Amino acid sequence: MIPIGALIGIGFVAGLIIYLVYIKVPQKVKGLEKTEAINAILPGADCGACGKPGCFGYAQALAQDPGLITKTPCTLLQDPESLGNLEKALGITLDPSAMSKIALVHCNGNSETIYHYSGVATCKAAAQLLSGYRRCPYACLGLEDCLKVCPVDAIFIDPEKNLAVIDPEKCTGCGLCVAECPLNLIELVSADTKIAFLCNYKPLKSIPERERCEYACTHCRKCFKACEDEAIVWNKEKAVPEFIHEKCTRCGKCIEVCESNTLAEIKIEEKVLSHITKAPGEHCAVPKR
Amino acid sequence: MNELIVIFIGMALINNFIIVRFLGLCPFFGVSKHIGSALSMGVAVTIVMTISALAAWLIEAYILIPFDIEYMYIVMFILVIATLVQIIELFIKKTNAQLYFAFGIYLPLITTNCAVLGITLINRVEGFSLSGSVVAALGAGAGFTLILAMMSGIREKLETANTPKSMRGLPVAFLIATLLGLAFSGFGGML
Repeated sequence: MIPIGALIGIGFVAGLIIYLVYIKVPQKVKGLEKTEAINAILPGADCGACGKPGCFGYAQALAQDPGLITKTPCTLLQDPESLGNLEKALGITLDPSAMSKIALVHCNGNSETIYHYSGVATCKAAAQLLSGYRRCPYACLGLEDCLKVCPVDAIFIDPEKNLAVIDPEKCTGCGLCVAECPLNLIELVSADTKIAFLCNYKPLKSIPERERCEYACTHCRKCFKACEDEAIVWNKEKAVPEFIHEKCTRCGKCIEVCESNTLAEIKIEEKVLSHITKAPGEHCAVPKR
Repeated sequence: MNELIVIFIGMALINNFIIVRFLGLCPFFGVSKHIGSALSMGVAVTIVMTISALAAWLIEAYILIPFDIEYMYIVMFILVIATLVQIIELFIKKTNAQLYFAFGIYLPLITTNCAVLGITLINRVEGFSLSGSVVAALGAGAGFTLILAMMSGIREKLETANTPKSMRGLPVAFLIATLLGLAFSGFGGML
């Protein structure tokens, strides 16, 4: 009886002390309540996918900057109920579409090959020479730099056009490929994007626009007028048309008026999916002269 | 007084917890990547060790021995350590947020740190007095902090070194631990 009694007694005293400390020690630190409340909603898996040390670190960062939830969303927190609780705790309204992103390659064309590239088979090396072996300096080179870093194998190489395409179904929006592309062709857009500019092309006066690629945006601005939602605007800094994905209602009118097929639906064709990637180096297109 | 100094040096250097006794190896490899977090961990473990050594000695002397239930010592000590870590965490959280955030996840992890249970058991086996137990815990904590700081310093330098791919990270840390152990074996004949 004594050992059992002693153990229970000490356990009871220990519990009592913890309770007393919890009740009696004054809360000197303010502002922790919000962090605590957020921390209670988070999954508590401490997976680190958000880039913070554990869920508590993420809760701290969220308490300071609620906007972080859209920039680096918690990948484990998906059910509407917890998201609703988080909205209340943070005091903001969440746009569910802003939570998940997909990557998008801003190139849809097979620009003319201007020289035979036989160097190291990476886009980074090829982009050093005249911005790549294609006439358009913004053309995807298809040398698989992005494909190699993709953790979910969502990037494929179109065998005909020899450019990278991203499967929107598979893409998780991690953004690894964005940093990888030496020509900055890949952009993260919200996951429900259906229509996009598949060209990153700034016209230089010395070269007529259409000469570069049959898919190049000619800056005709017909889509500006066709769009009833004012979702297409001119980006003065980059000198390219810009698509505001939030405003787009996916009516498809802009696709109809686009003469150069720059505006297109984001989709991946069956033949691309079934295409087996070539051995490294075979992508370097031979000039068609 | 001399005896206490001998206990302190013996615990800190000669019978170092990590290098010689192989206790508390999880934080040794887990928290030794950056010198800041390594020092925080060392200080936290030292505090918990000292207080739990004190509490364990009191329980041993006033509950276990009078009631003749000394065979229950492991259960009792674990209970005491878990309680102490909870109290310290709660206390720090309420009084000093800066410190709490600095410790982060490491504070609750000390509950399962074998170095803390180790010091209470070693004190019991060695038959230290109350002051001896506390000094032994302080020495063990100091030795623990020293090794953790040394290891994190070396590993921070290693980040920039050109390590072979197969050796990067934990493998090379194990090798360094071996070399550290060899160096510390030199203290063996001191006392």
